Amino acid sequence: MRYFHIIFLLISIFLIQSCVVDEQCRQNKYVEMKVDFFHVKASAKRDTLTISTLTIDSITVRGLAYNAATSKYEAKDSIIYNNSKSISTIDLPLQKLSTVSKYQVKLNKFTDTLTVVHTNTDSYLSLECGCLKFHTINSVSTTRHFVDSVSISNSNVNTSHAENIRIYK
Amino acid sequence: MFASNAEAQTTKKKVKEVDNTPLFNGISIQADAASLLSPVLFSGERYSYEAGLQVDLKHKYYPVFELGFAGANKISNNDIEFKTSGLFGRIGVDFNFMKQKKDAKPTTNLFLVGVRLGMSSSPYSISNVKIIDNYWGGNEILNYPDQISSKVWFEVVAGIRVEVLKNFYMGWTVRNKNMLTQDATGAVAPWYVPGFGLNNGGNWGFNYNLGYKFQLQTKISTKIKTKK
Repeated sequence: MRYFHIIFLLISIFLIQSCVVDEQCRQNKYVEMKVDFFHVKASAKRDTLTISTLTIDSITVRGLAYNAATSKYEAKDSIIYNNSKSISTIDLPLQKLSTVSKYQVKLNKFTDTLTVVHTNTDSYLSLECGCLKFHTINSVSTTRHFVDSVSISNSNVNTSHAENIRIYK
Repeated sequence: MFASNAEAQTTKKKVKEVDNTPLFNGISIQADAASLLSPVLFSGERYSYEAGLQVDLKHKYYPVFELGFAGANKISNNDIEFKTSGLFGRIGVDFNFMKQKKDAKPTTNLFLVGVRLGMSSSPYSISNVKIIDNYWGGNEILNYPDQISSKVWFEVVAGIRVEVLKNFYMGWTVRNKNMLTQDATGAVAPWYVPGFGLNNGGNWGFNYNLGYKFQLQTKISTKIKTKK
């Protein structure tokens, strides 16, 4: 009984020692608005519409930040997509500390402005991972130089990386 | 031949064991010595102290009540600070699987397997949670003071007790802990729950118990009645 006691005590101490706390964040923290491009084509009789994925030959995207001094939105130096080729999907970071996010989107030779109005929600993960900002898209609008229309397909922007917005040409 | 067999059956001794062990055989107080090492084992980030009362019923069933005080003061790699401290309690029962040998001196050593229901309601705070907007710029610091954690968990325990001196016992207990109270997704959940440990769904625990038993009924009287 005495040896039995000592052996199990040693095993238990080993178990305790082996329970090392993992302090690395291993959770998905990627929260960006997913935008897909589609091409809309009417039939010859114009009675049906065919929607297909649109691949953009060249795309450049940068944020438009509000400058209080000039009371204007100005393009940021940092470019999100820089002349990227053959793209049908883009991921855009929404503002975490503001509720309006604007983007200058250059599609081939045309430049449109995409405006997203959203609310931001704190989502606490853990002590290791901290807190994320999730977003709910309230409305979306665009200029129409290249783009025909835009719609919200899923208003919740979180770590699921589901399609949020559709841009139609 | 047949008659002699029948006679043999009737004269065969029928042995029936009657357990006259009293229902109540004393009460033990015990303290956990392993918890004194917890500040050293966890670099001062966590501490936990506990003691318990255990009743001996028929040397088979051991209802137990445990009470403790635990806490944590942790700063994560990304400088988030977590603080908690509070009481916790557990109720449950152990079952003694150490068999008594016939015609031998009854052993006072125990091999116990049991269950516990643990409860804790403790205040905690999480502070200095930074949200940095890498693309658009700016940052925000969030603080969550005065949070309350109310948790219930279930434990399966196993261990032994050895009488090292008259009425003084030593022994260990290993615990498998399973949280019953779940946190909602996105909720500001505690990092550590007093009595349970890290708030990650399941934990292992270990106690090294030092105890004293007040022998209110000391004699095990098992009569063996022989019937002819």
